[in-house]
Amino acid sequence: MKEPQVTLDRPKLTFIQKCKTMRGQQIICTITFLIVPLLLLFTFTYLPFFKMVQFSFYDRDYLRVRGFVGLRNYIDVFSRSDCFQALKLSLYYMVGSVVQITLALLFATILSFKVRGSKFFRGALYFPCLICGIAVGFIFKFFLNPGFVLDTLLGWIGITNTPNWLENTAINNIVLVACSLWKYMGQNIVLFIGAIASVDPVLYEAAEIDGANAWQRFKCIIIPSIRTIVVLNLILSVSGALSAFEMPYVVTGGTFGTSTYFVVMNKLAHTDMKVGLASAMAVVLLGIIVIVTFIQKFAEKKMDEAENRPRHYIADGKGGRK
Amino acid sequence: MKKALSFVLAFVMSLALLTACGGSGNSSGSSGGKTDSSLPSYASLKVGEDYTDITAELRVITHRTDIIDTTFAKYVEEFNKLYPNIKINYEGITNYADDMTTRISSNNWGDICMIPTTIQLPDLGLYFHPLCQLSEIEADYNFAANRAYDGVVYGIPSTGNAQGVIYNKKVAEAAGYTTGNLPKTPDEFLKFLQDIKDKTDAIPLYTNFAAGWTMGAWDAYIGGGATADPDWMNITMPQTHDAFADRGDGTGPYAVYKILYDAVSMGLTEDSPTATDWEGCKPMINNGEIGVMVLGSWAIVQMQEAGPNAADIGYMPFPITVGGTQYASAGADYCFGVNNSISDDNKIASMLYIKWLTESSNFAYDQGGVPVLKSQEYPPTLAAFDGITLLEDTPAPTELATLQPDVNRESEISLNADNTHVQRIVEAVVTGSETFEDIIADWNARWNAAVDRCAPAA
Repeated sequence: MKEPQVTLDRPKLTFIQKCKTMRGQQIICTITFLIVPLLLLFTFTYLPFFKMVQFSFYDRDYLRVRGFVGLRNYIDVFSRSDCFQALKLSLYYMVGSVVQITLALLFATILSFKVRGSKFFRGALYFPCLICGIAVGFIFKFFLNPGFVLDTLLGWIGITNTPNWLENTAINNIVLVACSLWKYMGQNIVLFIGAIASVDPVLYEAAEIDGANAWQRFKCIIIPSIRTIVVLNLILSVSGALSAFEMPYVVTGGTFGTSTYFVVMNKLAHTDMKVGLASAMAVVLLGIIVIVTFIQKFAEKKMDEAENRPRHYIADGKGGRK
Repeated sequence: MKKALSFVLAFVMSLALLTACGGSGNSSGSSGGKTDSSLPSYASLKVGEDYTDITAELRVITHRTDIIDTTFAKYVEEFNKLYPNIKINYEGITNYADDMTTRISSNNWGDICMIPTTIQLPDLGLYFHPLCQLSEIEADYNFAANRAYDGVVYGIPSTGNAQGVIYNKKVAEAAGYTTGNLPKTPDEFLKFLQDIKDKTDAIPLYTNFAAGWTMGAWDAYIGGGATADPDWMNITMPQTHDAFADRGDGTGPYAVYKILYDAVSMGLTEDSPTATDWEGCKPMINNGEIGVMVLGSWAIVQMQEAGPNAADIGYMPFPITVGGTQYASAGADYCFGVNNSISDDNKIASMLYIKWLTESSNFAYDQGGVPVLKSQEYPPTLAAFDGITLLEDTPAPTELATLQPDVNRESEISLNADNTHVQRIVEAVVTGSETFEDIIADWNARWNAAVDRCAPAA
């Protein structure tokens, strides 16, 4: 057998020598530092996800596999009445998330400018985000029950004939949406305040000199400057709305028609032991969220094109001169 | 840099795959545990005489988080007088059924646990040590067949439950009822609740709607107690179409749930079901603010200890009479199982401790349960069951062992596991969204479809 020819102008390094070069050291460092987070990411995110996709093709419970059923679980998800019935409830949460973002934008704008006690209000509005969702659920459970806090408060201002907030099917979903709004709005506010702070203050000054009022400044300076953050928040809120779980699960336990997609999925997986079907539901939900996100991204791009002017001209403060 | 990144990713994945393969290799190696003849059988062990010098450390996993430091600690102390070298550590799990189901699939969860009912009977041998032949203990033990498969016992009942109704004796007396004239039929029961409402300030029937799982208790009454047929629950019902249909004589599952529906629609329950509070109900019934709660006998002791009036808490059979006789369902609570992948010494030590708990600790009596040993006496709380025939659901024969669980889950009614179907009855009344007949029709349709799908091949 013939030895392979070695080109002489680039001496072949041994593995150890390679490792000792600067380039080699860089690679070793990268690998060692990356391996831990990647291993964690893989074991706790990707592996379970792939397993879930695999489960969705089987008829199985936690311990026992009854057999491969192909797409039957997916067909069931689409043909059952309760799965998509539950998705209709998400409409409540989506409308709620629009209200939530509008309110958050309002508060963020007010708190970004000099307001007495703005530090305190920022803290107070963010506080609910720090409480664990289950605890918030229990707070509202007692807040809303007939004869408890809310009814007492309303009684003081003379409103006595209150409905049963959690049992009246006309309003109970709206009440639950209001609860999640209370918990999650702080997060939007913080993001918006951060974005607004990055707007060049010179712009406000210039606008003021030109005689723009507060609304005009909000509409023409703040909104265009932070649009990316607003869209990001919308995406997060919509996927949050589709996967609403904590409030209906803790406050009402999914009773009285408040059973969202996640609550239905939880029951199927944990009490009825239909792990395959529940996995299929999860995959379908993932698909819906991905589609919704794409639609939003697409709409954003279209909006950009329609405006037909690069945003950074305003943000740079260079004006429209070209 | 990109190259390095992709290399790391590939490496991580192959590593994870390797570990995953290693894991499954392990479990398949040790899971084929058939009857191991080298170990003494549970029945032949003599506690206090055999193996008194055995050394082992046992981890016992239990759902009774409330008595680990009190009752169980005392038991361990007593047991250690006989077996000083067996060290026993208790671990409590609050969300027992779900968490234990997940943990059981690993081999090193501990030595003794309460066998989760989610494990189907044919699979018991994969996880648990075969304790003895059923024939060896059948004559002395109640509910011995509860966790047995193919004649082999995998679990020993910790205590037994009788299914009745908890009531406050003082409230009942004020309404004109004593032990002698307690209601025996659904109609009498509704009259009883109405009398409580008219003559006292107590809430006649407290549903415990909000806690959820407490409403699941209603499922426990549709077996032998409502049908006088011990075969009904595990053998007949999962092969019967329209199992929930009205029998017309105030018996069967229909009658059980109808009592709840009628009580709610007649205003004999609390004002707002969502405002009920499980922890709060205990002192309330103890103090006579609640007349009746539908819960298994396990709840008696908790209600007695929740206030100063332990003597007022009474327990009566469920108000359904079949052909002139009143029956009550009785069954095993959780059963003790021994991990089949631990060392032989640990297995023997575990069996010794379980046998001591069952035969010498008086656990069942202290907890107000039906005794496990046939020779033990009934606790005083079950006095009202004198003259009532206790019926134990017959376990399904080997070839039908998975039929009931399969049909039950396939139908998504999930009797004895899910509570939303019982809550639905209350919701139906409160919101007026559907009638009782609508609910029964829906249940029957789902049950029928499941029966057809799971029917044993002829």
